[in-house]
Amino acid sequence: MGLVQYVLQRLVAYLVVLFVGITVTFFLPRVMPSDPIDNYIAQLQNQAGQTLSPQAAQEIRASLAELYGLQGNLASQYVGYLKRVFLGFDFGPSFSAFPRPVSEIILAALPWTIGLLVTTTLLAWIIGNLIGLLAGYFHNRRSATVLEVIGVVLFPIPYYILAISLILLLAYTWQIFPLTTTIRPGVMTLDQIGSILYNSALPALTLVLAGFGWNILSMKSLAYSTKEEPYVTFARLKGVREGSIMTRYVFRNALLPQVTGLALSIGTIFSGALLTEMLFSYPGLGLMMRTAAGAGDYNLLYGTMTISIVAVATAAFVIDLVYPLFDPRIRFR
Amino acid sequence: MMRRRSRTLLVLMATVLTLAFAACEVPTTGGQGPGGTAGQGEMTDVGTPRHETLVVQTFDRKTDNPALHNPLMSTYAVWRGFRELGWGYLWETDTATGESYPELADGMPEVLNDEHTKFRIRLKKGIYWSDGVEFTADDVIYTLDTYFEHKDKLTYFGVATITGYVKSYKKIDNYTFEVETVNPAYDLTTVLGVYTWGSALNIVPKHVFEKQKDVASFQNTKPVTLGPYVVKDFDRNGFWQLWERRKDWKRSAWGWMGEPKPKYVLYKDFGPEETRVLAFIQNQYDVDTFMSPDSIKGAMQRNEAITTYSSKLPYHNMDDACSYGLLLNHHKPPLDKPEVRWALALSLDLQSVGINALNGEFKASPLPMVDTRILRPIYFEPLLPWLEDFKLPDGYQPFDPDFAQKLTKRLEDDQIADPADLPKNAEEASESFGVGWWKYDPAEAERLLNSVGIRKNAQGVYTLPDGKVWQLDLVIPGDWNKVMQRVGFSIADSLRKTGIRVNARQVDNAEFGNVQNTNAKLTALLNWTNCIFNPNYLNAWRSIQPEFLMDANAGEQIVGNQYRWRNPEVFELVDQATRTDPESPEFHAIGRSILQHFVTDMAYINIMNIPTTIPTNNTYWTNFPKQENPYAVPYTWWSSFKKILVSIKPAKR
Amino acid sequence: MNLRLKLGLAILAVFVVGSFTLPFFTSIDPSVQGTYPKGLPMSWQHPLGTNSQGQDIFWLLVFAVRNSLGLGIVVGIVITIIATLVGLSAGYIGGWYERVVLMVMDSFIAIPVFPILIVLGTLVRGQTSFVILGAVLVVFGWAWGSRTIRSMALSLREREFVSMARFSGSSGLRIITREIFPYVYAYMVVGFINTVLFVINTEAGLAVIGLSKVEVPTLGSIVFWALNYNAMLVGPLSWIVAPTVATVLLFLGLFLTSTGYNDMYAVRRGRA
Repeated sequence: MGLVQYVLQRLVAYLVVLFVGITVTFFLPRVMPSDPIDNYIAQLQNQAGQTLSPQAAQEIRASLAELYGLQGNLASQYVGYLKRVFLGFDFGPSFSAFPRPVSEIILAALPWTIGLLVTTTLLAWIIGNLIGLLAGYFHNRRSATVLEVIGVVLFPIPYYILAISLILLLAYTWQIFPLTTTIRPGVMTLDQIGSILYNSALPALTLVLAGFGWNILSMKSLAYSTKEEPYVTFARLKGVREGSIMTRYVFRNALLPQVTGLALSIGTIFSGALLTEMLFSYPGLGLMMRTAAGAGDYNLLYGTMTISIVAVATAAFVIDLVYPLFDPRIRFR
Repeated sequence: MMRRRSRTLLVLMATVLTLAFAACEVPTTGGQGPGGTAGQGEMTDVGTPRHETLVVQTFDRKTDNPALHNPLMSTYAVWRGFRELGWGYLWETDTATGESYPELADGMPEVLNDEHTKFRIRLKKGIYWSDGVEFTADDVIYTLDTYFEHKDKLTYFGVATITGYVKSYKKIDNYTFEVETVNPAYDLTTVLGVYTWGSALNIVPKHVFEKQKDVASFQNTKPVTLGPYVVKDFDRNGFWQLWERRKDWKRSAWGWMGEPKPKYVLYKDFGPEETRVLAFIQNQYDVDTFMSPDSIKGAMQRNEAITTYSSKLPYHNMDDACSYGLLLNHHKPPLDKPEVRWALALSLDLQSVGINALNGEFKASPLPMVDTRILRPIYFEPLLPWLEDFKLPDGYQPFDPDFAQKLTKRLEDDQIADPADLPKNAEEASESFGVGWWKYDPAEAERLLNSVGIRKNAQGVYTLPDGKVWQLDLVIPGDWNKVMQRVGFSIADSLRKTGIRVNARQVDNAEFGNVQNTNAKLTALLNWTNCIFNPNYLNAWRSIQPEFLMDANAGEQIVGNQYRWRNPEVFELVDQATRTDPESPEFHAIGRSILQHFVTDMAYINIMNIPTTIPTNNTYWTNFPKQENPYAVPYTWWSSFKKILVSIKPAKR
Repeated sequence: MNLRLKLGLAILAVFVVGSFTLPFFTSIDPSVQGTYPKGLPMSWQHPLGTNSQGQDIFWLLVFAVRNSLGLGIVVGIVITIIATLVGLSAGYIGGWYERVVLMVMDSFIAIPVFPILIVLGTLVRGQTSFVILGAVLVVFGWAWGSRTIRSMALSLREREFVSMARFSGSSGLRIITREIFPYVYAYMVVGFINTVLFVINTEAGLAVIGLSKVEVPTLGSIVFWALNYNAMLVGPLSWIVAPTVATVLLFLGLFLTSTGYNDMYAVRRGRA
């Protein structure tokens, strides 16, 4: 089986996953109990102190159905949706921020989420795997136990508690970082970049600390079992230096499942880091999705879910394509 | 070797854990933050001098549409100060008295006919938009024209209200216009002007809007304003907005009230309560909005500059127009029977609920109306003797006039509150905790339920006449309203203790409104309704009319009357009220009759005034409205904020 | 048995025995509010004090550990079994079977869980139970582990000793169980522990969106209420420290057991 066939097969699978995912996300919000128009009218009543007559409510209902693009049956809405999404990256207007287009809202939040999460996911992955490797390879030494303990203790602490503890330490008791994110609009000068980094440092720190525990533990167990493999023993007997056994023989092989994990977690970045964004008032996708769900704004919810699905599916696709490069034993099948 | 390693492991673990929790040991001397002392030269996060800036926590946390400043669209960033600082209204509500006062208008409207449908309105002269153009009747006429012309695409709620209310209008001269209403109107000043929170008529500048191709898609970012402030800057992500005082504030919509003291006003979200309270302790902002009682207590212990509305229990402001209550759908058996609704009221141990959820910091109200300075003399006091004599059909007297004193005693006995903060006598107790509430009497509740065939089974759980367990589905707000969330779970807990199987379900804010308004979805709901601020109750009760009711399984939404209350005598009374001058004694008497029907039917279990928890920080600004100095309600929304801005003083340094 | 294993088993034994037997010794339901005065300090009657809702924190914790542990272990076992079976078979068998399974797996991984959970939460409308909750967690939890295990099986399939076994006429099932399984075993155990924790932590999040019940004591719901009453700032601190320490200790017990068992296993295979 040739390379072309292999790639083609993966591509077909990729497209099927995309289609299934997007279809599911279209229909799921439709069964949500909150209808955006009803929500809006309920809101009006609470605001207006019920000065609306039933006739006025009916009129608003009709005009909103048209404005929101909700007239017609489910099938025609679905076809229209697929067309708009694939041809124009157009998810329609947001309901809670009407008439702002969903794509504009997502594009505004995207850089924040990507910036924060790509950095922290990579950092947590690299640091965690290095520590895990050392802990697994030198599993008989006391220092390895120390490293392991860091993982064991940090990992199970509920994120919210870990983050609040860090806030109390680093933004309250010692006021090193700001409590909430404050970004002033302006061009990207050096000062501006500095201010963004300063404002993002604490959320990033909490994410790295919360993230790398798992990497330590899984890498440790992988390194530990790989180290006992016959080919490693063989290399050792052959007189290969310890350092190069660790890196070239153990690390490289133990890394494979971790690469899969990394690629998939890069994909999930697109659903944001909800708790972090809530706690630090960080303008990312997770917080946006939470408010959209709370407000029954399903156009916005679709938009984010669709982006997230595309990202994860693409990540999985890329892993499949590059996997043979990491592990030459796998032939293109 | 093995043993030593494990010991190391344990010791290390203990160390890391200790470190993690050392963070929780918050020192009690806070407030040394970026602005620990009120010195000159400190700057806010957005680059304004801190001592010239009033910083307030936003009402809605983050706004979805930060750049949309067009008040004709419902989704514009209204909670960013536009209602208070940006626009001007014909008439405003004085929050201290509940009365309307002219703002842009020059006096109250002149009534031109006996039917009360034609009015002449004069405008103040010498009011200017922030770009220097004079404000005239042309702007009002243009706004009304726009409302009628584009009512199908302007989403602001007032557009529907005004176009259904106003029949015709015409300009007389630059400072005078006339209006004719569809029906006899006694509430012109609160419909064309402000009733509590907002106004249906948002007047826009003709010279700006008439140039736009499409008034519905016009963003109006950094708009021309009528109020004394203009938008200086705002966060594109929706977390904050900065206002700057106009140089010509004197000729703005309410420049006649005096100088607004802060040069800048910053609305900013300081995050969820866990981080917000820390920012408050660090003096990063001056006025909070709805912080939970426990966080306030924590903040006050760590920073002396932080105070609540009152130094006495219940500590918080209780003047909000709405009250919390249990909404029961009269269409859903067995809630259709007054005996069952009464049984629920008598099964509710409000004392315990208030203590478990709110530390006793609440004011109970047995009538479907808030118990405030404004409403108490008109509706509560005259009805007290009637309440005390009131009997259920079986002769039982449910009202407990000593509720407040019993609560006082329990708060003292259980050492929940500092005795110095508690009321000293019956009168003070009634001021603090309300005129009374219903007795907690599960035995009487059981008698009432038995009388309609609902009996306890062997496990002590109530079952319906057909033998099935009676399951009461109670919907309560989720995390978006922490105080109600707690009160809701405590209510469920209290009812369960008497044998009622309650299924408490928390929902998001969008679904919440939906449940309230849709018959098919509602069984019981903890909500805020019956919003009545001044003696005119019609805004809350106008909809108690047969044509507003929906059938029992209706999927479409109801408008008002969310209790689905069907009482022909009340329909008649409400109808009568719409044809009566709201300032007349007859109108108030009708209101009292409606209240009596509410109680007799137990149409809606009203519980308490909304505890409006607004702590302030005196480090940079002083003279906020407080119990002993109630020149306005302490809210940063409503007209009260205008009064606050002209009344606060920079702190002495 | 090495010390690690002993220690781990001891911790787990304390948690399991304690949380499953102690509830028989009290007649009081700890989830009921106002049973005791609020905020009592630690004492013999109340080893961890009482919280702002008038509940005894110690008893709350006992019931919470029982509920969380029970849910976590059951869901963890189910997820680990499914993930291993699906992952191994897909990786080893290959062909169309693998492609279909992979597509299903990828679809589950690709659909973001959070909004889906919100939708489900509103659909089951408060009629949730731990069974529904467990089912939801299984449905959204199996795919990740499967994919990792599949990729391990994929690489193992091409190794010399597996090829050797194949040439020497071993059946597919035998190769999977005898040759491949031992290699993924270490990962599986870590994965299981991780799943237990994932379940315990996710349950807390789900409580907030209405898919779990916050009145039922779990490690998550205690933290939920402690944060709601801002116990971190106002106290009692034991309200928030107790469930956190319990979570960490529980994890430690699971972790020591699994690594200890790994060590023992390795010794038995004669490779220590």
